[in-house]
Amino acid sequence: MKFNKKDDGSYELDVTGYVCPHPQLYTLKSLEKMKDGMILEVLVDNPSSVESINQACNGKGYTILETNSPKAGVTAITIQK
Amino acid sequence: MAEAKSERFKIYSIAIVVFLAIISILYYISAPVYLYIVAYMWFGFIFGILQQYGRFCFASAWRDLIMVKVPRMFVGIMVGMMTFSIIAVFIFTYYPERYHTSQLGLHGLIGGLLFGLGMVFAGGCATGSLYKTGEGNMISLVVLLALSFSQAIFAVTVFDSIFERFIQSLPSFSMVELLFGKPAGVPEGTTYHVQYGDYSFWQHMFADAGINAILIGVILLIGVYIIVVRKGFLKRRAATMAASADGGEVKMGFKDELAGFWHMISSSKRTSIAAILIGIAAATMVFSLGWMAKHYDFNNFGNVLVAKPASAGSNTVSSTLPASQGWPDKTYPSDVAVRSSSTVFDPGYWYITTQEAMAAAWSIKAVGLDSQPADGSPGYLENNHYFGDYNGLPVPWHSPALLLSFGLILGASFRALRAREFKWKFPTKELFIYAVIGGTLMGIGARIALGCNIGAFYAPAAFGDPSGWVFFVGMGIGAYLAAKFVNFTANRKMADMDFDIEL
Repeated sequence: MKFNKKDDGSYELDVTGYVCPHPQLYTLKSLEKMKDGMILEVLVDNPSSVESINQACNGKGYTILETNSPKAGVTAITIQK
Repeated sequence: MAEAKSERFKIYSIAIVVFLAIISILYYISAPVYLYIVAYMWFGFIFGILQQYGRFCFASAWRDLIMVKVPRMFVGIMVGMMTFSIIAVFIFTYYPERYHTSQLGLHGLIGGLLFGLGMVFAGGCATGSLYKTGEGNMISLVVLLALSFSQAIFAVTVFDSIFERFIQSLPSFSMVELLFGKPAGVPEGTTYHVQYGDYSFWQHMFADAGINAILIGVILLIGVYIIVVRKGFLKRRAATMAASADGGEVKMGFKDELAGFWHMISSSKRTSIAAILIGIAAATMVFSLGWMAKHYDFNNFGNVLVAKPASAGSNTVSSTLPASQGWPDKTYPSDVAVRSSSTVFDPGYWYITTQEAMAAAWSIKAVGLDSQPADGSPGYLENNHYFGDYNGLPVPWHSPALLLSFGLILGASFRALRAREFKWKFPTKELFIYAVIGGTLMGIGARIALGCNIGAFYAPAAFGDPSGWVFFVGMGIGAYLAAKFVNFTANRKMADMDFDIEL
């Protein structure tokens, strides 16, 4: 797991290689540490976690800005707190 | 580069279908009756596609609800189970011999608890680990191996004493029996295993589907709505309404509660669609296998394996069962099926863990760790209730339900390849430990409870068997405890990380 600052107010969380429940858990815990308006890009390669992250963000009122697949098997989810 | 990989994935997915088609043809050429186990395989393939599409995993149902407040999978499982329950009543009308109930007792709760602990540690339930293996996730394969061998070892060591002391004599009954009493002619207080047809179609529909599956399912969904979804939904709805009402007073009523409940049900279309289709597929499977068993004239697939071939002369085969039309013209060893009943594990519906325990035990035998006595009497692996009296030890390619598991893995691979979601993933040390502990706990839990999340919950709950809910409660308690532990370790891990966030 890697958590890096990309830019001012923008961070990247790489949870590739992890299986449930770790990707969704680390994503929410990271977002909890961030301020409102900050952006987090999550890299995940566990398909069921993608679904759970989307649902958890909707439930918390965070905005999913973009979801794409930078390479086969990996999903990048950009979330604004 | 990405396009080339995508093309390769498409080719691999087609290769999977061609491979399964060739296997099917070979089985049919060998003997037409083998279409029965081929049907298991293709239903497994369908389950694999649907599970991968809907990310259908029972571990997620409890764990995500507890840890990240996501009810998606919990809702999906209830919707699928309720769909299954309605269709099952119609099917049992035609194939009453496929209906059965399990013993109800504390073993379901304890087994469910261990299973719930295990599935959260493992990152997937028994069937979830199968579909995730199909996605290229080798951590799930470790889970499956731990699940399979722990079951086999448990079954040949301590299972008999637990079963004989605490489980064997427990009553089994269905909701229809609870509500309408013993069938006519059976005195109250006597032990009687309810048969389908003892009651009318509408009594089964009302009690088994209506009360045991749908009413309990809806109550649980309302509970989840109130505890997990309601507050956040109404808050967001009030904010939206206030904005459009220009600061005017906003009142929430029953209509808004209904909107919130529907929002919970429909918020993950993918999961809900997959759940309904899985329910329909599970019911169709019961119907199809029931029809095929009748068509090929057997009660259990083990009958086929131990039958006396048409070409056999007198006294050449120990079995006295005659082969029917379409059965193999071949003699199999006497130890492939349960000796006393000429049966093998052939549930006739979606089932997951027992066949893997059988495969593990068979592989122990195949490498020579359990040598067959020269006089033909049962070896160590057969000399117990689990394999010797109930399930048998057929070779894997003659084990009906194992073909389902095989098809499920390949169905998930097919769908993951088509969706560009297939990725080889290998365990780190941390995930390997979680996988072994989780798989082992699931294996032991499944044996104590006499089934896993499918065989001890999903199917029984849909069939009107209250024992399914006992397992479900145990599974929830186990998942809750494991979720607390995983959350604790995650917090510790994150405390050591440098987040570099200026708060």
